[in-house]
Amino acid sequence: MGAFEELVTRYEGRVYRLACRLTSDTDAPDILQDTFVQVYRNLSLFRGECSFGTWLYRIATNTALMLRRSRARRPAESLDTFLPRFDTHGVHADTPEAFQCAARADEVLDQQLLADKARDAVDRLPDLYREAFVLRDLEDMSTSEVAEVLGVAPATVRQRVHRARLLLRGYLGHLVEVKR
Amino acid sequence: MNDMVCESGIHLLMDYLDDALPADVRASLDAHVAGCARCAAFVQSYRATPRIFRAATMSALPEDLRESLHTFLRAQRERGR
Repeated sequence: MGAFEELVTRYEGRVYRLACRLTSDTDAPDILQDTFVQVYRNLSLFRGECSFGTWLYRIATNTALMLRRSRARRPAESLDTFLPRFDTHGVHADTPEAFQCAARADEVLDQQLLADKARDAVDRLPDLYREAFVLRDLEDMSTSEVAEVLGVAPATVRQRVHRARLLLRGYLGHLVEVKR
Repeated sequence: MNDMVCESGIHLLMDYLDDALPADVRASLDAHVAGCARCAAFVQSYRATPRIFRAATMSALPEDLRESLHTFLRAQRERGR
């Protein structure tokens, strides 16, 4: 097996999973293919200034983003209604029981339903939040690695991930409430 | 005196869970969460969210796609020689 093929074998599963999370199962094969074509063409330009994985993830993330932008998608319905609410004194407006619903979503919801809804919710995040959340929380990269991939400051990554978590946390609670 | 309320604590949650807050701010938030059932439950659900989404969006590369990827890339490289 050649060196490039070994490299593809090593990273293909991760790139495919990342592509599914950033776009969809339908678009992921194109992103997977385009990413490795670009890697092959630009391998001589890789200078080792960041890790190979970071460089590869940057290519895959940009490829996914370009594909999303090329699609004439309907504007996604905002998740803003799922942000936490407070009273005039800054106290949570919802009860502890309501919050506990979100933490138990994987115990009380059908797994296939949860998978479908989770993908839909990630898809509905604004691009900036989705990229940061997927890389940091779903692909388990460090904040500084995500900052390198996205070309932004670590503080910006943290802010975007935090915002995505708030939206998705509220959405999980909503799913469980609806099921009741 | 602890001026922390639920709303101000929310903005600190990510740094709180990453243990990246200054000691005095962390102590203030710890004290608030310890005395606020809503925040304690909220932190639990905030912490669970990445785990739940990670598991729910897991996907494995299908074998037929893996094979077609390798076939395609091999053809590309042979064409480029």
